[in-house]
Amino acid sequence: MAEVRYEGATRLYEGTEEPAVNALDLDIVDGELLVLVGPSGSGKSTALRMLAGLESVDQGGVYIGGRDVTLVPPKDRDIAMVFQNYALYPQMTVAANMGFALKQQGVPKEERVRQVREAARILDLEPYLDRKPKNLSGGQRQRVAMGRAIVRRPQVFLMDEPLSNLDAKLRVQTRTELADLQARLGVTTVYVTHDQVEAMTMGHRVAVLKDGFLQQVAAPKELYSRPANLFVAGFIGSPAMNLITVPVEDGVASLNDLSLPLPDDVRAEVNRRGLKEIVFGVRPEHLELGQEGTSGEVAVVEELGSEAYVHVRIAHGAETELIVVRVGGETSVTRGDFVNFGVTGANHYFDPDGDRLDAKPVPGAG
Amino acid sequence: MTDTQPDTAPDAGPDTRDEERAEERRHLERREKWIRRLPLLPALLFTIVITQVPFVFSLFYSLTDWKIIPPTPRTFIGFDNFTDLVDNQFFRDAAWVSVVMTASAVLLSLILGTGIALLLDRKFFGQGFVRTLLITPFLVMPVVAGLVWKNQVFSSQYGVINWLLNLVGIDNVEFVTRYPLWSIVIVLVWEWTPFMMLIILAGLQGQPTDVLEAARVDGATNRAIFFQITLPHLKPYLELGTLLGSIYLIQVFDQIEVITGGGPDSSNIPFFVFQRSIGGGWDFGAASAMSIVVVIASIVLANLGLRVLSGLLEGEDPA
Repeated sequence: MAEVRYEGATRLYEGTEEPAVNALDLDIVDGELLVLVGPSGSGKSTALRMLAGLESVDQGGVYIGGRDVTLVPPKDRDIAMVFQNYALYPQMTVAANMGFALKQQGVPKEERVRQVREAARILDLEPYLDRKPKNLSGGQRQRVAMGRAIVRRPQVFLMDEPLSNLDAKLRVQTRTELADLQARLGVTTVYVTHDQVEAMTMGHRVAVLKDGFLQQVAAPKELYSRPANLFVAGFIGSPAMNLITVPVEDGVASLNDLSLPLPDDVRAEVNRRGLKEIVFGVRPEHLELGQEGTSGEVAVVEELGSEAYVHVRIAHGAETELIVVRVGGETSVTRGDFVNFGVTGANHYFDPDGDRLDAKPVPGAG
Repeated sequence: MTDTQPDTAPDAGPDTRDEERAEERRHLERREKWIRRLPLLPALLFTIVITQVPFVFSLFYSLTDWKIIPPTPRTFIGFDNFTDLVDNQFFRDAAWVSVVMTASAVLLSLILGTGIALLLDRKFFGQGFVRTLLITPFLVMPVVAGLVWKNQVFSSQYGVINWLLNLVGIDNVEFVTRYPLWSIVIVLVWEWTPFMMLIILAGLQGQPTDVLEAARVDGATNRAIFFQITLPHLKPYLELGTLLGSIYLIQVFDQIEVITGGGPDSSNIPFFVFQRSIGGGWDFGAASAMSIVVVIASIVLANLGLRVLSGLLEGEDPA
């Protein structure tokens, strides 16, 4: 068990201009489950593979437990990795797959069998120990890949989208089991996913990447309530935050009939930057249908049972925009209705270039 | 079935319809099967005519005493040709040469081919060029390969090897005369290594990279990765190489004819069959019997080779 540190870690693939991972600084504390999340091409998998030693680090360094492992080959890093396609050894039985790493370390056979049995018990794999991977279901293969990792008692677990090949229901179930297992074992874990729901539900902290740059590292709750920039605001949350460009005059932003007086710190920042327009962000649950506010036509109603999302088309300059409003499950609003909606709180204001305008240092965010 | 239910009992309609449908479905399936087979039929007939029919003739000839010079009438003698073979010292020698030549050429070309394939299975500048060059020995006509090796490499007068040996002060060695069998094996290995290399290379390139990465993360050394992960993965490819190599190499003729002309310790069964028949023996009955033995031996040898190979690669202990 150990802490992990990236220090200005950069990976530049041959023949490309922009680094896949660009000067990444990240501290992961002992026992933490840190999720790297981002769209495809954001560099999250590359960052993980740099930690594994499967990609070289072109600049900066990577540390595990205080030891500089930047130039250490993967086999000497004391890590275990779960791959997206599981990468099980096809010719070996489940038991041999799980015992492979121990065998490489020269652990005696009886000890190996004992440890494999122990891991198999934790993961309910005991009936399958003599099977070959091709005779297992997707979920079982996933568990074998997990078993192969935990049997080693490594310093760090690395997981590269381990749930993306499971069907939706199994994914949700395995997600919980995995988080629980990690908590019980207390092993530092770096987990890569493109699924922001997975990131939010599993991570102790979540690091959002885009185009090789780290955007924000924070606890899920903070990431949701105080996104550091436009990208994080749009990426985290489902359905996404409503983001709409609005004009500002005398410290008041206006969205059609809605006047949005800016908080003092935002107003100061807007003046300092000399902005005429800002991006106003509000989550669907902070909007409310009512008599007041601005109006629009209902384009779609998404019924989810306990709640519903109403997509309202509003005029915005020469164009129209869709605004998503969360309402209770028993709504009577239907497509084609004209509705009014207002803002109930928790607004976000961004520079059109991306920065959060009330940005102030937040204690605890790495 | 529904006929026990009171409300459908008066009307037997659904049942008959079901049967009609089943009949129709069977008919369609039969049609479908024929449509699938039909395009293969000409090829199948052609193959039977040019391989199986002559084989049946050979079988018949092998049971007869049939010499052309001096011309004698063909007489049926049962299995005498086969029993005579057992006592025939020349045939036994040829059989042993066949075994040694085939087994060593297959094994050596397989090992060399695997080695080269491992070296080729990585990105480097000029990879395609090198690969093409390495394949060329397989594209050379067997007769040409034999001549080149005999005259330009092994020859005591013009050969490269002897020239090199002379440079370091060693006297000429008559390779082909002193080591006839191994001279031929070397040429066969030179020709067949590229073939094995191609098969093994296909196998290596079909190996998922994440499995290799997983092994590296799991702490395996390169050696361990090769023997515990890559080699078991290559098993079917090694088997295929062994099978095809054995089938072709057991019937080598050209290189023997060109290099030693079938001299002592270099004549395999096919060559001996040639010598006993159109090559001067004119004893078609005995020659047919020998060729039947080669066919049976090929099948046995190929099977044995596969089993040995599978056994070698199967030995993996659980946990």
